[in-house]
Amino acid sequence: MSKELKGLGVGLTAAVGTVHVVAPAQALPAWGKSTIGAEAEATRLKGAIAAVSANLDELASRSDETTAEIFEALKMLLEDDELFEVAEGYLAEGSDAAGAIGQAVNEFGELLGGDPDFEARVADLQDLSRRVQANLAGIAVGLELPQTGQIILVGEDFSPADTAQFTPAVVGVITRAGGPTSHTAIICRARSIAAVVSVPDAFSLENGATVLVDPVGDRVVVGGTVSDATAALTFIDTDEEPIIPVRSNIGTAADAVVAAKTKANGVGLFRTELLYLSASTAPSVDQQAASYAEVLAAAPTGPIVVRTIDAGSDKPVPFLNMPHEENPSLGVRGFRLIVEHRQFIIDQLTSLEAARKQTGREVWVMAPMIATVDEAAEFANLARSIGSFKVGIMIETPAISMQVDRLQGVVDFVSIGTNDLSQYLFAADRMNPALGALLNPWQPGLIRMLAKIGADGAAAGVSVGVCGESASDPAFAVVLAGLGITSVSASPSQVNIVTNALASVTAEQAKEVAAAALAGTDAASAKANVLAALAKF
Amino acid sequence: MTIFTGEVEVLDPIGMHARPAGQIAKLVKESGLEVVIVREGEETKANSALRLMAMKVKTGEKVTVSVDAADQAAADAVIAQIQEFLKG
Repeated sequence: MSKELKGLGVGLTAAVGTVHVVAPAQALPAWGKSTIGAEAEATRLKGAIAAVSANLDELASRSDETTAEIFEALKMLLEDDELFEVAEGYLAEGSDAAGAIGQAVNEFGELLGGDPDFEARVADLQDLSRRVQANLAGIAVGLELPQTGQIILVGEDFSPADTAQFTPAVVGVITRAGGPTSHTAIICRARSIAAVVSVPDAFSLENGATVLVDPVGDRVVVGGTVSDATAALTFIDTDEEPIIPVRSNIGTAADAVVAAKTKANGVGLFRTELLYLSASTAPSVDQQAASYAEVLAAAPTGPIVVRTIDAGSDKPVPFLNMPHEENPSLGVRGFRLIVEHRQFIIDQLTSLEAARKQTGREVWVMAPMIATVDEAAEFANLARSIGSFKVGIMIETPAISMQVDRLQGVVDFVSIGTNDLSQYLFAADRMNPALGALLNPWQPGLIRMLAKIGADGAAAGVSVGVCGESASDPAFAVVLAGLGITSVSASPSQVNIVTNALASVTAEQAKEVAAAALAGTDAASAKANVLAALAKF
Repeated sequence: MTIFTGEVEVLDPIGMHARPAGQIAKLVKESGLEVVIVREGEETKANSALRLMAMKVKTGEKVTVSVDAADQAAADAVIAQIQEFLKG
């Protein structure tokens, strides 16, 4: 049996190639005293800064717009007048060029330090300083990948600067850190590069070894061949009805148009923040109503579940004053904004009611970030006083997950946001690449929580939907149906495949699959049990 | 050249961070004018994004912009543009 490493697969493409370990950067030489004089050192430093700058330009030219903007911003920091002046001060004291830029950057690091808003910038500055020092010492910092061949990159995690240097020879990527939503994962999914992230033993792989990157199997197989790759489950395209309705997640009118071309039965999550995040002043009720009417009119046939604003200090709406918070994901966000911004939420519901009347569509409204039954009741009363909506709440906090039975008669429905529920259930920051494995939806802790919510919802006569990322996985969607979830909502690109999966099983079979998931004692065995159960039908 | 001053308010929800600081430094360099940001006796030349960021000006704070320009109109244009950058 060949050696196998476990991780989290990204995408459906498998690949075989030669391991290319990206080693931690070579150590930079120690700073010293100049032997050539301040003026000559200044010339060397200018040259090195210009070279790194030119490299940033080149990286920007090979990147998409968003990444190019990042390189532009880095270049601005590097070419800052004052940074060079401070470095010249160190040169005048006899330092060499590397020491001068290193100390100048440290000085600015001190000035900017201790402020969470600038932590990432300080890290950027230190990275630029290392690049300049490496250039001065003649050490390569780029990945220097071959253009041809079939290589599997192995590294800690890859930054935008790294992924911009991927050549066509990169057919697979393995990282020790990073989760399913890391930059590396997003880039690999977009470019159909086989990837397995969050592999604890990644660095046990040796340069030059042939390995199979098997994302569907969540593993890397040393010496494996493509024929060993785990086959992605395929479900026959059918006109049969799925056992529970499959809706679509949307954020804009354009998304609604795309979703309407799928098999989606309505919209399970309409994220309304996008209408506000770029507005510098609050749009009027008329303007909001017009925007909503456009989306409602274009949405796929079926009910449209609208989530009221889900902003926080990490996702600030410019016209709502959102002071800095130490822990924005645990702060004043979602429905908690009602304390300071009640009128804004009233205006949003009023606009939705106007758009509902204008389009004649069935509109359900729900509030995010609810932790108590009182909050749920407050929102439900407010929404019912404004419009003819079905009224519900998002389930993201463990606190409300434990009280679903008490929502009987309070709300009509709940919708589980599995991404945030995982974050709060596992106390694992969604933005931290080191915690990706905890945010895996196959974690037994999450599956048990979903089972409880499904059962309590059924007993209380409250319908329970799932609109998180996990519902976009067809196998997981079958598990959800078996756990008593009454509808799922997937991204438009996944709606048809999830619909086909849910049309290919009976309610009884889904229960069997859910039992197989519940029997798993860790994420890997839960998923393996489910794939085995599905393969039987 | 005469020194003209005006007050601006930082409305950007994360304060005077890298992006507005960069926009201001770029504007100042392109204008060729001497521009200084003043806060309670602390003065910072506005041609350096790093120096501006190091002021750590937070949302809701007001600072004075002092511009050494040929006339009021030229100075006002710079001050108005800086206010625009700080709206976030």
